[in-house]
Amino acid sequence: MPNRRILIILGVILVALAVMCAGIGAAVLFFSASAGVFTSQVPAVVQPQTAPPNTQPNQPQAPNVTPAKPQPTRPAQGGAPAPSGGVSGILTIPGGEPPTLDPALAQDSTSAAYIVELYSGLVTLDQNLDIVPDLATKWEISDDGKTYTFHLRDAKFSNGKVVNADAFKYAIERACDAATASVVADSYLGDIVGARSKLRGQTKDVSGVKVVDDKTLQITIDAPKAYFLAKLTYPTAFALDRQSVESGGKTWASNPKSAIGSGAFKLAKYDLGQSIVLQRNDQYYGTPKPTLNEVHYMLSGGSTMTRYQTGELDATPVGLNDIDAVLDTNNPLNKELHAVEPTMSLFYVGFDVKKPPFDDINVRQAFNYAIDKQKILDVVLHKTQLPAKGILPPGMPGYNPNLDPYPFDVSKAKQLLAKSKYAGKMPDITISVSGAGGTAAGSVEAIVEMYKQNLGVDVQIEQLEWATYLNDLKGHRFQMFGVTAGWIADYPDPQDFLDILFHSGSRDNNFNYANSQVDQLLEQARVERDQNKRYDLYHKAEQMILQDAPIVPLGHDVEYWLVKPYVQNMPFPPMIIPKLKFVTVAK
Amino acid sequence: MFAFLIKRLLWLPILLNAVGIITFALGLYGPGDPVEVMLGPRSNPEAVARVRRELGLDRPFFEQYVLYVDRALHGDFGESLKYRGQPVGELITKRLWVSLQLNLASLALGMALGIPLGILAAVRHNSWMDFLIVAVLVAIISLPSFTITPILSYIFAVQLKVLPAGGWEGLLSKKAILPVIILSVGPAAVFMRQTRASMLEVLGQDYVRTARAKGLSSRVVLMEHAFRNALIPLSTIFGLILAGSVTGSFVVENLLAIPGIGALGVDSLFSRDYPVIIALTLIIASSYVLANTLIDLTYQYLDPRIRIH
Repeated sequence: MPNRRILIILGVILVALAVMCAGIGAAVLFFSASAGVFTSQVPAVVQPQTAPPNTQPNQPQAPNVTPAKPQPTRPAQGGAPAPSGGVSGILTIPGGEPPTLDPALAQDSTSAAYIVELYSGLVTLDQNLDIVPDLATKWEISDDGKTYTFHLRDAKFSNGKVVNADAFKYAIERACDAATASVVADSYLGDIVGARSKLRGQTKDVSGVKVVDDKTLQITIDAPKAYFLAKLTYPTAFALDRQSVESGGKTWASNPKSAIGSGAFKLAKYDLGQSIVLQRNDQYYGTPKPTLNEVHYMLSGGSTMTRYQTGELDATPVGLNDIDAVLDTNNPLNKELHAVEPTMSLFYVGFDVKKPPFDDINVRQAFNYAIDKQKILDVVLHKTQLPAKGILPPGMPGYNPNLDPYPFDVSKAKQLLAKSKYAGKMPDITISVSGAGGTAAGSVEAIVEMYKQNLGVDVQIEQLEWATYLNDLKGHRFQMFGVTAGWIADYPDPQDFLDILFHSGSRDNNFNYANSQVDQLLEQARVERDQNKRYDLYHKAEQMILQDAPIVPLGHDVEYWLVKPYVQNMPFPPMIIPKLKFVTVAK
Repeated sequence: MFAFLIKRLLWLPILLNAVGIITFALGLYGPGDPVEVMLGPRSNPEAVARVRRELGLDRPFFEQYVLYVDRALHGDFGESLKYRGQPVGELITKRLWVSLQLNLASLALGMALGIPLGILAAVRHNSWMDFLIVAVLVAIISLPSFTITPILSYIFAVQLKVLPAGGWEGLLSKKAILPVIILSVGPAAVFMRQTRASMLEVLGQDYVRTARAKGLSSRVVLMEHAFRNALIPLSTIFGLILAGSVTGSFVVENLLAIPGIGALGVDSLFSRDYPVIIALTLIIASSYVLANTLIDLTYQYLDPRIRIH
């Protein structure tokens, strides 16, 4: 019976193939027909600072996207009425597991996004990223630019206790206490007189923070710094209720009983790994008053896209693999898509300007001209970035829209390369990128391919896991780096990009870049109190840096969100700001 | 047997110490630093040094290790470096429990499917049923979980709307159906293959022929004489899968939004969260030791000729 057996084997193979094809067919069907299941909710290890979504008046150039909702009225100081009062409900959205909910410890945007809803500080950012009063109604700056006197408003914590000047002194000194072990206290509070000695454990209090009376707080900084106020919008300086913090032990911030803040919402429940529930804070002093009863963050990730389609989630960010599907106007989901303007981020190729061949400016400029950014963004990154022409992202105050020093130009690139001292004898070049897995990110491969095709230069790819990448980056061990890891603004001030990345004395200048004229401009801008003059200085510095070309600016992150029609007024700010108080759910 | 058990258990602390020291050393001397990861691209050597000191990461290797062991013996596995202030025990136990329930249920379902199918395939050796069972299970197990998970959740959640697309509310809720089915495919196929192979081997033995010749019913021959002897290799597989059930399943847990141990493990490696990494390594190592001990004991029960010392 050998024939029969062969027939059976063939039949079985056919069945097996059919089963597999059915699987693949279903997969194809489901990736093309619907918006798919994968989202970027797998823990973002490559860029731990997930950039926040964004909204600003001018829309991104991505096609087929319904514009983001009109801006809710700006939180006018001193009492605009709550929007269409009475509409309330529950908003269910995906969220990341926050490494901490303690304002003093937060160093990442995932944590900060929760904290700004729960706590508040002296000043905050409005939706245009202007610094506006929050718990302080007004402030005076002394003539030497070093002493800030804040006048506090009448406000209460969610437990009914009054927010006074002591609450700030306590919060700042706690953040600077060595035992708190905050990694960011130096960056955000280090300008305050006495903060550094407190951090080193040399003093008991921070001498630069003075409680004048219950409603008046005075902060003295070590030098006039125009960007200091911007730093106070970050959680590190938010008001805390000492009794609550001290009663809650080490996990006070994740326990609803002791996590007492003055924000628009309060912590109602925290189920590690599962969900965080925020509840409206009826004591909230600000405007508008929140109308949502509760916000449920689902922490366990998963296919948020599918769960959005089944109605388990009211809004979700759209992952890279699903963007093409939802950008298609024939897809019913397209009507629920909100594209948001670039976040305060910059992705770039960086060069170490002391290592050959990048010690030659001609090579660096040639490498700038040789990349077709638009193509990479369209083909590989599916429009999740806008091409970067300069260094500052579009939402940043002081952004210069007229920059475009390096349009894609192969012949110019070749000319410059021929002019360089390495023409014809190019040393080995390696680009180091952060990433895990067998293959490098598509954008890295595209860039390497462009250098090969357009310049005839071979670039090797070295892929390092994030912790190793950071370690080597700071040790200046890279020749060429970046692409998948970039820089995200901590506060909306050009200083946070230009000074920190390119001043020759900055620890975060990974390019070994030094230009005394640029340094001078940056130093002037630090203390210049006329904002327009300051921005002029930064414009000049930015142009000179681009001319020297220590980097190839690639793009600014753009986020896409799907939001159900019954969720209204959801803002998409380019930075982390309190935003839930604007949202209404009319289900 | 008790002597054996005690000997095995006495080995446990020695083994755990070895595993602990290796993990500790790899973490400490390998590249990357948890505090640097916290800071991200923004560098601040002063802050890094201060926080390292505060967290005790700058102390000598053995001092850190002894301190850790001492605390662990008192039930304190330290605090997570990434999830600041969270005790590791609390962070792990809840997720571990979720993964464990899920994996044990899948293992049970996998056995319930795989063993009968394996017996059937062996009894009907070389028939169409044999081929069909083998082919279908091999085809299904060849589809990786990152393919089969989205397909099933698309069919059952988005199109048919009969199952939720993700989340976790305990083993006895609708949300557990999809992950249990997906995770049981692997064990089912493995059990089926192994049952079939060892049954075929046993069925050819003389004592089975003798049993048949004695006129025993085929049910008795199969279950009493053949299957019991075929169980030995199965118990090995069972033990290994059982031990593996504390490791969670990164892909399925991630795609179906299940707060299990899989994602935590991977995440803790990337953020150099040593206390979590070490605790997980120790849990996994002990579960393998215990499972192997269990397997050895089962051998003796299944085959009295096997002696353990």
